[in-house]
Amino acid sequence: MKESVASGPSEYAVDEYAVELSGCTKEFAMPGGGSYFAVRDINLRVEPGRFVSIVGPTGSGKSTILSMAAGLLEPTAGNVRSYGTPVQGVNRRASYMFQQDALLPWKSVIDNVSLGLTMAGVSKTEAYSEARRWLEKVGLKNFADRYPHQLSGGMRKRTAVAQAWIVDPDILLMDEPFSALDVQTRQIMENELLQLWQESGKAVVFITHDLDEAIALSDEVVILGAGPGSTVVGSYEISIPRPRDLLDIRDDPQFIELHREIWGRLKIEVSKTYEAALAEDGEVA
Amino acid sequence: MTMTGSKESPKSVHTSPDGARGQLTRGRSGKSAGRKPGMSALTMRTAQLVLALVVLGGWELLGRAGIIDEFFFPLPSDILATVWVWISTGYVFPHLLITMEESILAFIVGAGVGLFLGFLLARVRFLERLLDPFLQMFNALPRVVLAPIFLLWFGLGIWSKVAFGFTLVFFIVFFNTLEGVKGVDRVLVDNARMLGATEKQLLRHVFIPSALTWIFSSLHISVGFAITGAVVGEYLGASAGVGYAIAQAQGVFDTRGVFAGMFILMFAVLVIDLLVNRLEKHLLKWRPSRSA
Ligand SMILES: Nc1ncnc2c1ncn2[C@@H]1O[C@H](COP(=O)(O)OP(=O)(O)OP(=O)(O)O)[C@@H](O)[C@H]1O
Ligand SMILES: [Mg+2]
Repeated sequence: MKESVASGPSEYAVDEYAVELSGCTKEFAMPGGGSYFAVRDINLRVEPGRFVSIVGPTGSGKSTILSMAAGLLEPTAGNVRSYGTPVQGVNRRASYMFQQDALLPWKSVIDNVSLGLTMAGVSKTEAYSEARRWLEKVGLKNFADRYPHQLSGGMRKRTAVAQAWIVDPDILLMDEPFSALDVQTRQIMENELLQLWQESGKAVVFITHDLDEAIALSDEVVILGAGPGSTVVGSYEISIPRPRDLLDIRDDPQFIELHREIWGRLKIEVSKTYEAALAEDGEVA
Repeated sequence: MTMTGSKESPKSVHTSPDGARGQLTRGRSGKSAGRKPGMSALTMRTAQLVLALVVLGGWELLGRAGIIDEFFFPLPSDILATVWVWISTGYVFPHLLITMEESILAFIVGAGVGLFLGFLLARVRFLERLLDPFLQMFNALPRVVLAPIFLLWFGLGIWSKVAFGFTLVFFIVFFNTLEGVKGVDRVLVDNARMLGATEKQLLRHVFIPSALTWIFSSLHISVGFAITGAVVGEYLGASAGVGYAIAQAQGVFDTRGVFAGMFILMFAVLVIDLLVNRLEKHLLKWRPSRSA
């Protein structure tokens, strides 16, 4: 069940990975001179059609890894490839759902959702009708003309989902997309995500704080160690059969067993982070 | 955290001399400040009218009673009469036209160059670092001292005033645009780039709309500065314009004429500011209303 990180599943040829980070290190220059290693020597491989979650304590560099995969951040060392080609500039085959609000506040919901299409040269009428289809999917068809500030937090997240997926990317990069949602909305969105993904064959890299969510959704859960300079400390294959019933999955014996095993590993990293924070507070005081 | 930053009403960063700013911004914030519940718009208007009548009436009475010197503070009724004479005889219109022409030219050229350089320097870090000290130096210069030299360079015609107004308008628009573009939320830029935006599309969909709030706050101020530039320039040396008319009146100790010129300018600025407000409301309709 547990497998070593670096080797990866061997039945795929190297150039078939949707996302491939090899030996990626990211170092941030600090204002007072010196530097901070956010992540060190990250190896991550995601095959097309796979759903991979990254879980780790806060500040462990999850967003940093996703930004490198997207081409928004360049690794200090190591390289990033996508479908065999090195990523230079933004990764054109990926879409990104940001941890923060990223809708353009000056565009209405429908203009936000259709933006990716119109910028690609699709005619406005065509882009709008496609956007309407997506708004219906995420349950927002009556809100097309609102501005983002007139929506609830959950509605903004759903708009962001439509905005990111309308361009039909091969890779979905999602940074804690649902953590701001209430439990019910969240479950609806998770179901929605699984359905959209199952019919598509897209690769998903999904970041979350929530181990339950990670196990319930994924084919593979990757655990990141405590920062600074964190790296992948474990990778777990989730072989719960699909389609999964997200409402009852937490009672599944396989789920419980996996959760126990992975949490045992994650707990160590989380408490390391917590202790480091305490120690730092002590130094400051 | 960055989202709130862009929603707050931007303060203009570099406002240079004079009181033009005070005039304009006061008129504006008075409107946006929410009315107290229970006080209808009509009662407020009535109260404002009463206040104006009390002040002007008091002034008139004190003047007639000889308590304030009519020579330095001409009676409001006399000022109004002079304004009427200037308008009915058509005396003021050629002057007003010249002043407006100078202001509009100064404003268009100053705002245009300010916007262009603002966007350029915000996007090209090298240029910003290269030019920064020089721009700071020129901005530190009290602009009024340039008026005499512009008179020598460009003569008594409109171009010396346009040049003078330009130096006032340019820096405000430039610095506000620079700050506005640099202050754009990184996540918004990244999101647009992930959605496939080219540099041109980034400018159109992200940078320009995001900088608009800053640009507008600078437009309110710079419209006033354009007129200030024109009038001060005319006052110092010209053969036409409202500033010239005021200088003429002052030359013959006609304080009524001086005040009449002031009132006419005031109304011209108010009307223009109203138009800018309209445009702003239209272009920034996506913004949450700040009444809450
Ligand atoms: N631009 C930056 N400059 C300096 N340090 C940075 C920068 N971006 C991130 N870091 C640091 O890198 C580390 C990892 O950040 P990152 O945002 O990837 O964490 P994360 O795992 O996504 O955390 P969270 O779960 O809280 O979102 C943090 O310690 C952070 O302070
Ligand atoms: Mg993060």
